[in-house]
Amino acid sequence: MERITIDPITRLEGHGKIEIFLDKKGNVENAYLQIPELRGFEQFSIGRPAEEMPRITNRICGVCPEAHHMAATKALDALFDVEPAPVVKKLRELFYSSFYVTDHSVHFYALGGPDFILGPDSDPAERNILGVIHKVGVDIGIQVIECRKRNHEVIKILGGRAIHPVAGLPGGWSRAMTKEEQKTILGWAKENVDFALFTLKIFDDIVLANQAYVDLIVSDAFTHETYYMGTVDEKNQINFYDGLIRVTGPDGKEFVKYPAKDYAKHIAERVEPWSYLKFPYLKDVGWKGFVDGVDSGVYCATPLSRFNAADGMATPKAQEHFERFYETLGSTKSNGRYSPIHHRLATHWARIIELLYAAERMQELVEDPEITDPNVRPIITNTPTEGIGSVEAPRGTLTHHYKTDENGILTDVNLIVGTTNNNAPIAMSIKKAAKGLIKNGEVSEGLLNTIEMAFRNYDPCMSCATHSLPGQMPLEIQIHDADGNLIVTQSQYID
Amino acid sequence: MKTIIIGLGNPILTDDGVGVKVAQQLEEIIDRDAHPELTITEASVGGLRLMETLLGFDRVVLIDAYYLNEETTIPGTIHHLTLYDLRSVSPTQHSTSAHDTSLVTALDAADKMGYKVPRECRIYAIEVENILEFSETPTPAVAKVIPIVTEQIITELSLKIR
Repeated sequence: MERITIDPITRLEGHGKIEIFLDKKGNVENAYLQIPELRGFEQFSIGRPAEEMPRITNRICGVCPEAHHMAATKALDALFDVEPAPVVKKLRELFYSSFYVTDHSVHFYALGGPDFILGPDSDPAERNILGVIHKVGVDIGIQVIECRKRNHEVIKILGGRAIHPVAGLPGGWSRAMTKEEQKTILGWAKENVDFALFTLKIFDDIVLANQAYVDLIVSDAFTHETYYMGTVDEKNQINFYDGLIRVTGPDGKEFVKYPAKDYAKHIAERVEPWSYLKFPYLKDVGWKGFVDGVDSGVYCATPLSRFNAADGMATPKAQEHFERFYETLGSTKSNGRYSPIHHRLATHWARIIELLYAAERMQELVEDPEITDPNVRPIITNTPTEGIGSVEAPRGTLTHHYKTDENGILTDVNLIVGTTNNNAPIAMSIKKAAKGLIKNGEVSEGLLNTIEMAFRNYDPCMSCATHSLPGQMPLEIQIHDADGNLIVTQSQYID
Repeated sequence: MKTIIIGLGNPILTDDGVGVKVAQQLEEIIDRDAHPELTITEASVGGLRLMETLLGFDRVVLIDAYYLNEETTIPGTIHHLTLYDLRSVSPTQHSTSAHDTSLVTALDAADKMGYKVPRECRIYAIEVENILEFSETPTPAVAKVIPIVTEQIITELSLKIR
């Protein structure tokens, strides 16, 4: 392949632009997703008091402000060296679980799910929440909106503010929960469990009952064997809020398990001249390019990855579905672990099982009598130096790393956001999808749809926070020949 | 008439937060006692979450950054748009992420489900220059129009100032 270095300015033009490079014979050599970079966050943060970070970083991203708020708050725990009281951890996890319910449900009903509910070949103009309502009925749409509404209310009650929460403090949480709030939220948590079970039933009826869809899920076109990352508790069960980072291999074996503060020992970032976004990989395996296998340091951090990295789920109903997931997809169990599922489209299924887990976990936490303990604000006495905090964002492990002077004024900031973890796997999935549809320079029908499906299962969050009009993302694919000349451009709106 | 004014955008991303700054100015000067049915807020969200914020209101006023083609844009230009216009405007570089749906689609869906969506929607779209760098300060051309847009909204909605 001719080496193509894209001018930084032209690179910024396409939002969600996919570039495909062909070899001399007209077959796919490489394919990448190009994402514009927001610049200067580090400089923006340096010189500010560290305790502002939970409120600043939740502005980075309009999709998951709660995830940034939580990672930032945990980084402050470490920075000020204060262990949060059990009630604080429980309130934070309750808040965070509620956020997961909203986030995962919107992906299934409005974004990734339509590919299945309406079919991968349906008109893109129909393949959105409107199309879903049309197909499965208005009542289901109302359930989705009502689910989001009550959980946004939980986020507002616990987080102190709708949309951009403010409650996270070093080692604490700015307000305690009243008994009345506990009662209200318990009712909502139970409704969430019902909603999640109902969502899994829809998945059963529409996707699993349709052999063509099951064949699509397990097809080679959407399969990659990589390492998987996820946060686990002491029993190696999935946890979104806290635990150790566990990485398992394509063979299913545990590769490493480490506390978030050691991330730099295990993760390195590959820089490519044609992309602003770095490509994280496992340091101890090494970078071997955009390839599958046990010798390639590429790892993935998604709902599917969390499944593969864990031994199970911590709540009973989710655990049942976890087992069913692996058994249905042909996994075998040995030494208490299922062999990994590498089918990327199964991520959609894993995501709604996580939705059930989040709902059940909410119920467990809010039923805990300790959750209304009023002692949520500790007094900070230690001098800050350096702190690292991490959570599982819905779309991957999110890490915040701060350094300060002795007054707590930031001197260094580094963030590894969820989608970045998946940058290499996304490129690989796009390449594989493109390979199947571009042969000897001929581009088959359905290229855009297939590529969209290939990257959408990662639920990528690309434009952190800006929502300038008109608020619609054009997906553009550019195909270059072996000399780097642009030969084909296709585009459609993702809605 | 139950009205909500929402300043949209990211307040720490240079010009992207222009809508938020207009909303903050309005918040400071409007006589709230004279307008019990008025809500003024800000949001760095789009699509579904924005739609959910609008439910139950009769009228909505959105103020947002408008990013146009680099060669033809005149930063600071104020456009008055409706939802109808939103359906037809050409794509810009910076829009919602793949993890969302457009506001128009979200509102159509809400309407179909029987929710009360605002009957009237006014959009003040301000052409911007820089929405890729983190800063709390807008570029001069954009900063200049913040009081102008504020004034326009006060006049058009016949709002009383303190």
